[in-house]
Amino acid sequence: MMMPGGHGNENPNTNYMNGRGFWIFYLLVLGGVHIILLSVPVSLFSVAWVWTLTHVGHNAIQFWFLHWMKSHPWITFDQGSNRRLTHWEQIDHGVQYTPTRKFLTILPIMLYILASGYTRYDKIHFAINTLSLASVLIPKLPWFHKVRLFGINKY
Amino acid sequence: MGLARNVENSDLMIKDTIRTIGQVTEIVKETWRSQGDHLLAKRVAQAMPKVGKRLRKKTTSSPARNYGHEDLIQAPWYMRFAGYFCHFMLFAVGFFRESIWGHGPINSELKICEKNRDGYSPMYIGFEGFYIRNVFRRLAHCFRTPIASAPGGEVDVLEHYSENAGWTFNINQNHMKTCINFGSYNYLGYAQTSGPCTAAAIQSIQTSGLTSSSARQELGTLSYHRQLETTVSEFLGKEDAITFGMGFATNVLNIPRLMDKRTLVISDEKNHASLILGLRLSGATVRVFQHNNPEHLERVLRKAMLHGQPRTRRPFKKVFIVVEGVYSMEGTIVRLPEIMAIKKKYKAYLYLDEAHSVGAMGPNGRGVVDYYGLNPKDIDIMMGTFTKSFGSAGGYIAGSKRLIDHLRANSQANTYPTSMSAPVANQIIEAMKQIMDKDHGDGMERVRVLARNSKYIRRRLKQLGLVVYGHDDSPVVPVMLFVTTKISYLLGEMKKKGIALVGVGYPATKISHERSRLCVSSSHSKEMLDYCVNAFDEIADKMNIRYNRGAHLDMSEVQY
Repeated sequence: MMMPGGHGNENPNTNYMNGRGFWIFYLLVLGGVHIILLSVPVSLFSVAWVWTLTHVGHNAIQFWFLHWMKSHPWITFDQGSNRRLTHWEQIDHGVQYTPTRKFLTILPIMLYILASGYTRYDKIHFAINTLSLASVLIPKLPWFHKVRLFGINKY
Repeated sequence: MGLARNVENSDLMIKDTIRTIGQVTEIVKETWRSQGDHLLAKRVAQAMPKVGKRLRKKTTSSPARNYGHEDLIQAPWYMRFAGYFCHFMLFAVGFFRESIWGHGPINSELKICEKNRDGYSPMYIGFEGFYIRNVFRRLAHCFRTPIASAPGGEVDVLEHYSENAGWTFNINQNHMKTCINFGSYNYLGYAQTSGPCTAAAIQSIQTSGLTSSSARQELGTLSYHRQLETTVSEFLGKEDAITFGMGFATNVLNIPRLMDKRTLVISDEKNHASLILGLRLSGATVRVFQHNNPEHLERVLRKAMLHGQPRTRRPFKKVFIVVEGVYSMEGTIVRLPEIMAIKKKYKAYLYLDEAHSVGAMGPNGRGVVDYYGLNPKDIDIMMGTFTKSFGSAGGYIAGSKRLIDHLRANSQANTYPTSMSAPVANQIIEAMKQIMDKDHGDGMERVRVLARNSKYIRRRLKQLGLVVYGHDDSPVVPVMLFVTTKISYLLGEMKKKGIALVGVGYPATKISHERSRLCVSSSHSKEMLDYCVNAFDEIADKMNIRYNRGAHLDMSEVQY
């Protein structure tokens, strides 16, 4: 059967990212998508724009799945204690500074540094990349745990 | 002069040796009488280190009893990535599909949405069914297979099919297949429709009727309830016992009566949902230790005891350690001697949930306490269920008379639910009598056959190169598959060959730990076990589940 929590692991959202090989899989998928984008032969997809696209696209997807979608894709037996929490807030039961959280924080920063380098620090790319990085780094700060600005996305 | 001194020295040495041997023999005799042979080595080692080491080598328990080194082989990397990729693709396709076409099948009346609810707030969060709609639905044909007979050693399996890709299922009443049953918890084979236990149950309907029509504390305590409780306490070697109609409710409703917010509870990582729910309802401070790891238990216990109660930092009134006898998903047996030593050192209480081990483990079938040869008086609360080994229903808690009297007066499971039905109780009484008394029936023979079957099939499956978790003696045999899609293929192929298996996947297990769990029974004959092993052998290469190939496998012939 496939019911969560029957044997100890109530909300698998909290620790599936700690599993063996998940980080490498994440990097492989990101790298694979990046290579596919780099291979598109349209002249608009220059190296600079592909890097910005990868960076912004990754941040957008991460923002949607980690910081906007709430609750979990299965019904748990914990009486809905995680129903109002985003995925980021559920990781490791809300404990801050765990290895998974550090990995997911450092990754956008690394992408930002690489994108800045490959775009030769151009002004437009800088603006886009910095805004995107801010949107995905600020919700990860420990002071923003369970904080909803202006009541957006509360329920 | 020197020679005489040497002779004198050797004389003294001989006398010393004789005295040492005498002392050691005394310790051996005394320890053998009260405790098991593994603790014997410890006692001797405390008295005389060198002698202890030599004795420890000689009195090592049988290989089947070696614990702590079960094959924790993990999934290979390419399997992990394949598993992650499968889930990733299913989630991606699911998001895309549901954002455009909504929940439910496309172009059908079965569209999943609340009807006539304009202006109301939604009753359900649609996202929480995402996994079931997109991943589970594609594998739903493996699970919830309907059966048409009693779940004995063989079971009649009906075919169920879906005409709309897993959204709804129909049962084909005409197509029935008798399969060897490796999915039911039927350790001693009492889930049968004939035999002395069934006869006793039917006889009791004629004397007591089917229902007691009342709660235990009102008019619902009949003579068979008292008889059952004395039988259970005699079976386990405790002073008194109390029984309830439902095993899950036993844990959930009694733990809050034994533990409150001033209690510290250290519970195993892989404890059952009933224990977790009971602990949450009690309001106790709960700390979790790594599965079956007494060193980690001790570290967690020390840290939590030193910390004290959460806000006030005052010392706790009680400390409990909650473990299970045999873990039903892992097949591991609890490391009871070490945990008992820790419990005694820190003066904690031990709550042992023997749902899968009572009746199934130990030379006399009394559970893990019997398996390790320990004294049942050392365990404070023994809990168990009658569903798995006795072919019945319900749960019990056994302990000192004072504890059971407290539960009789204060437990909500005693006050509100209707008491156990007569045939259910009499089935258990008869089954326990058969196990306790060698001349009364074949209960002891069943226990022996179960132990033999478990060891046999475990060793043979390991010889095939399959990864089997758990200890060598436990009757729960999880065969690791590591990828969710393999569950579907394995169950389908096995059903064609006439073997009914149970598969378990994420999120019930961890993400790359999908498995198929076999429950060995004493009603399985050697031919059935051989048939199952040969079936695994035939499809293991095609399925690529021989993760444990290698020269280190013990390929010697397995005696039954």
